[in-house]
Amino acid sequence: MLSIYPIAPFVLLTPGIDLEFSFTEALIGFGLSPQLAHLLWLPLPMLLVLIGAVVGVLVTVWLERKVSAAAQQRIGPEYAGALGILQPMADGLKLLVKEDVIPHRADSLLFTLGPVLVLVPVVLSWLIVPFGQDLLISNVGVGIFLWIALSSIQPIGLLMSGYASNNKYSLLGGLRAAAQSISYEIPLALCVLAVVMMTNSLSTVDIVEQQNSSGLLTWNIWRQPVGFVIFWICALAECERLPFDLPEAEEELVAGYQTEYAGMKFALFYLGSYINLVLSALLVSVLYLGGWGFPIPVEWLAGLLRQPLESPFVQVFTASLGIVMTILKAYLLVFLAILLRWTTPRVRIDQLLDLGWKFLLPISLVNLLITAALKLVFPIAFGG
Amino acid sequence: MFGFLQKVVDYSREARDAAKYLLQGLEVTFDHMRRRPVTVQYPYEKLIPSERYRGRIHYEFDKCIACEVCVRVCPINLPVVDWVMNKETKKKELRNYSIDFGVCIFCGNCVEFCPTNCLSMTEEYELAAFDRHSLNFDNVALGRLPTSVTTDPSVKPLRELAYLPNGVVEPHDIQPDQPRAGKLPQEVLNSLKNGSNALASSSVQNNDSSSGQKKE
Repeated sequence: MLSIYPIAPFVLLTPGIDLEFSFTEALIGFGLSPQLAHLLWLPLPMLLVLIGAVVGVLVTVWLERKVSAAAQQRIGPEYAGALGILQPMADGLKLLVKEDVIPHRADSLLFTLGPVLVLVPVVLSWLIVPFGQDLLISNVGVGIFLWIALSSIQPIGLLMSGYASNNKYSLLGGLRAAAQSISYEIPLALCVLAVVMMTNSLSTVDIVEQQNSSGLLTWNIWRQPVGFVIFWICALAECERLPFDLPEAEEELVAGYQTEYAGMKFALFYLGSYINLVLSALLVSVLYLGGWGFPIPVEWLAGLLRQPLESPFVQVFTASLGIVMTILKAYLLVFLAILLRWTTPRVRIDQLLDLGWKFLLPISLVNLLITAALKLVFPIAFGG
Repeated sequence: MFGFLQKVVDYSREARDAAKYLLQGLEVTFDHMRRRPVTVQYPYEKLIPSERYRGRIHYEFDKCIACEVCVRVCPINLPVVDWVMNKETKKKELRNYSIDFGVCIFCGNCVEFCPTNCLSMTEEYELAAFDRHSLNFDNVALGRLPTSVTTDPSVKPLRELAYLPNGVVEPHDIQPDQPRAGKLPQEVLNSLKNGSNALASSSVQNNDSSSGQKKE
């Protein structure tokens, strides 16, 4: 389908609100050249994604602290803003004004580059997260593949910062992080591959579109239950969340590769890990839980209320419902991750690699093969 | 071939069990979310120490006969009793008495053995100081009355778990006149004195007198 149309298909599918077009049109109307107008448009979605990601992190940090407190029968942050809602801001501000220390005899270039290499791919991956049919930065044809490729850059940064710190804990943490990321990337990619196989597209928009033909019932989780579980486990491992947080196991490794970091560089790691968590949750909801789709298709609701799909009210309603649904699903998964954090003990490094290579990898391979077979046998249900 | 199949069966059973236990654990964690926090917001809320709380030691100078029993029973001979023998009256004259609470372990032996009961343990536990020498209390400092949680207007006193009414675990919402679970020692004594026929009416007494069970 992508190859037939010379331009991206989503523009043709819904003649909705196109902000880019109106913005550049307005600038051209002021007498600017189209190239300049486009150049002025470019930073806006980037800024939006950056703000969105950071706000998402702030909310996640607050949620983590509050939910952790509730799970341990504590109160949690309370005095910074109502219900402690400003606590993450206070944490961030504190890190911002702290002294930036580079340890003696550490490699200062690699030491600085490490956190950047960890954060940038994660933020870049937000490029492909759709909050609605047109509500994403770029509908890249290889969307989900781009995410997998970008997430493989992260271990380089981790290894780099671990090695450059000139500290044995950092080095061990960095090595562990690299081993973990590499071994869990494979089952993760295989699970994504099974979904892609059913969709016949790597684009995240197509993946969601294909799931939302009749609401809740056609979500991928029913067709890929094993894939869903394996993907979530691997995503937790990629984010270094608690059952798999050996790279920064505080009881053994002080803080792993983060040991020597302070101030803003530490904040980059912190931000990176939480952005990655939110991103993983968003992608799980995109791949398996129908993305922006409401459990009952909006088209049905509009038909029931006899509203034309093209009317501005329905358009705005659908868009906002899509954003709310995506965020809701993602945060439910974040909540699950926090609950898991206080439920599961940390695995040992040998158990971690065992689970990755000897359990998840074969099962995800079998899952892929079964999906392929089912696709051949039942092309209607499994995307012919 | 059969052995291999058995291994596969065992492995999958283990995996299923692991998943089951994980879900059970999640259930427990989730259940904790709906329980109320047990937090006591310390500077604003404080627990009422129990009657037998072993806090800072109170000392009455006028009762003391300078016998130095407290020094002898103390594990580290901590109390400093500064007295002189008055030759004319042939009596000890006490000049100073001090206990260093930076060293005291609050075992209560001195209080236990004091023949004139001039020593007693208070409910005061906030002894933080900027200088450890200021923890060395002389007889004036030892004679001060303890600060009380219940009379401090800036503090919300909370009852400890054992002092809550029957079946209640949350100290925030209870009324001060609600009796604690069980009987006070005095009530037990009374019921023993009155014999078994008065046992039935003791529960009524319990309700009447138990508002005074809070420590002053």
